[in-house]
Amino acid sequence: MGLDAEKISKDFPVLRSQKTVYFDSACTTLKPRAVIEAERQYYEEYTSCAGRSAHHLAKKTSEMFEGARERIARFVNATSGSVIFTKNTTEALNLVIRSFEYSKRKKIVSTVLEHHSALLPIMEQQRRGAAKMELLPTNKDGTFNESSMSSTIDKSTALVVVHHTTNTTGMRAPLEKIVKIAHDNGAAVLVDGAQGVPHSRVDFRKLGADFLAFSGHKMCGPTGIGCLIGKEDALEKLDTFIVGGETIETVKLDAVTWKKAPKKFEAGIQNYAGAIGLDAACDYLGKIGMQNVEEHEKRMAKKLMDAITSIPGSTIYGASSPEKRCALVSFNLKGVPAHQVALMADSLSGIALRSGVFCAEPAAESMGFGKGAVRASLYLYNTEKEVETFRETLEKIAKLV
Amino acid sequence: MLCFVALAVLAFLSLFSAKYRPLAARAFDCVAKKATLRPCDTGLDDEIRAASIAGIMKLHAPSAAFVNRHFEAFSIAMTIIFFASLFFAAQGVYNFALYGNCNGPEGGFCIYNGLQNKAFLKAPGSLDGITCGNASASVVVIEFGCYSCPYTKAAEAQVRNLHAKYGDRVYFVFKPFPIPSHPYSMEAALAASCANEQGKYWEYRTALFENQKGVEERGDLAIFEIARNLNMSTGFDACYAGKKFEAFIQQTQREGQDCGIYGTPTFFVNGKPFVGVNAGNETEAEIERLLGSA
Repeated sequence: MGLDAEKISKDFPVLRSQKTVYFDSACTTLKPRAVIEAERQYYEEYTSCAGRSAHHLAKKTSEMFEGARERIARFVNATSGSVIFTKNTTEALNLVIRSFEYSKRKKIVSTVLEHHSALLPIMEQQRRGAAKMELLPTNKDGTFNESSMSSTIDKSTALVVVHHTTNTTGMRAPLEKIVKIAHDNGAAVLVDGAQGVPHSRVDFRKLGADFLAFSGHKMCGPTGIGCLIGKEDALEKLDTFIVGGETIETVKLDAVTWKKAPKKFEAGIQNYAGAIGLDAACDYLGKIGMQNVEEHEKRMAKKLMDAITSIPGSTIYGASSPEKRCALVSFNLKGVPAHQVALMADSLSGIALRSGVFCAEPAAESMGFGKGAVRASLYLYNTEKEVETFRETLEKIAKLV
Repeated sequence: MLCFVALAVLAFLSLFSAKYRPLAARAFDCVAKKATLRPCDTGLDDEIRAASIAGIMKLHAPSAAFVNRHFEAFSIAMTIIFFASLFFAAQGVYNFALYGNCNGPEGGFCIYNGLQNKAFLKAPGSLDGITCGNASASVVVIEFGCYSCPYTKAAEAQVRNLHAKYGDRVYFVFKPFPIPSHPYSMEAALAASCANEQGKYWEYRTALFENQKGVEERGDLAIFEIARNLNMSTGFDACYAGKKFEAFIQQTQREGQDCGIYGTPTFFVNGKPFVGVNAGNETEAEIERLLGSA
């Protein structure tokens, strides 16, 4: 039994209060009432610090915060000790890439398809001389050249940084194969799950990667909260990142004893409301079922691609098969600049689209839209009727030239 | 190109509201880049273009496609029109400040007259006009009005109340002040004066206001129709055709301009001005005050 997007959309106040067709979920998703309510409760009913004070409010916050950690861990099938709260995927990726040990192996393998959040920290490590970046070969349609992976990931590779699903085409990386080659060569794997965890059932244990990063706000949760999931032994090998209150066991002026992960990486007062909100988001998605979300997105991806290909002069980037995508398609219309398409879709029909290079300039260049494209990214609250509105609007815009 | 217009408009709006300042800053950035032959990358021109084309598309899709194809040409034309308008408006303000009229010493209709404060209105020097009441009364009410003006029409009921209420205790003078922007306003004033000659002024005046829309749409046909309905003699036709009272009306018009009249109806109660559709009530209060203190 699939999900009822029409019914689900009623859980999202933004969709109830205004006439919006929200097709920008890859940027951030809308928030259901349950998430807003969970955050409201923290701020209105028990605002306090977790793990420090002993009063009743602090106990409640500690219980909710650590409970959130446990439930979020269950959501991706990991242990609660492996969940580090960060402010977003970007911080989680920076944490691993900056804190990883490169003294014996210096190579970081990644792909041109990555978001700037993954590429820039690697480039920074290279600039500092700490590591050396090498890219896995990919094709113009965003697929991997799988036969040459083994020659790139070798015994000198320390870390492989790769997406679960790209934010430019919605296509998945062949993670099973990448993880196997990396582990066969003794390299660790960091997966950017920002677009993967929200749209499919991600099982951290089954995935086999050493680290998984994702954001709350891309999966119905609040902004300002994200997670790094790491194998506990892999986390212990990481150096400190941001240090401060609650990251230590003891401090003497000449010696510091750090706590074990996850506390070692959670300096200062945490985003309790964010974590509690993300917990509510996981609960919300869990009740709907990630399998249902994934199936819905497959259906919508096909509808979306059919809608765009029906417009004369349209170009879709990435693989032509909707089966290989989540409900995310980047495209251009001949003769109309991407920004204009997005702005006009908004003005004409209230359709929220993203235009540009989606914080992935090298990826955009490699796939042939270096000057920008339009991105339609859907989620569990989007309906087929909205895709039809989108198609009609594109048809009107295409007639401008 | 439209960022030049956007800068001028947004900079002006920014003087009054901070919310326009970030947009003005983007427009300024865009203008600075265009002026130094670099592409505008603020996105503001794209936003203006998309909003404009979308707006036109909602009305007429083929026109939107046409405007879109020639958008740069339209932008240049709009920019030229905008700055030309700005120049003429500034010239008008300069003339208004210097001569009291935006056309300069030549005079004529000036939109800025509405900016004048009624404190600058001067009472008319003569009592020439269409009159009723007692010429020797201590209170004199002069009305400048236009038969084709909806505000003069709206104030008419109160004017008639004043006539009925004060009778011979007040001397009422009506000075026709036809407003050129109202169709057939001069013709209506000429006809009303001819009706006055026939001794049927007030009936004709009432009918003119009642048929204001008809006169505006059908002109002479409506004017003669009213006359026929009031059984006016053939002298009316000759009077009207010969523009017998044209000089009189031109004189009251000049008088009104000299007084600084900028809207009808304008009342003077023993020289004190009251302007607008609600001026009838203020006029009554002033009459009461004057009669009470007499």
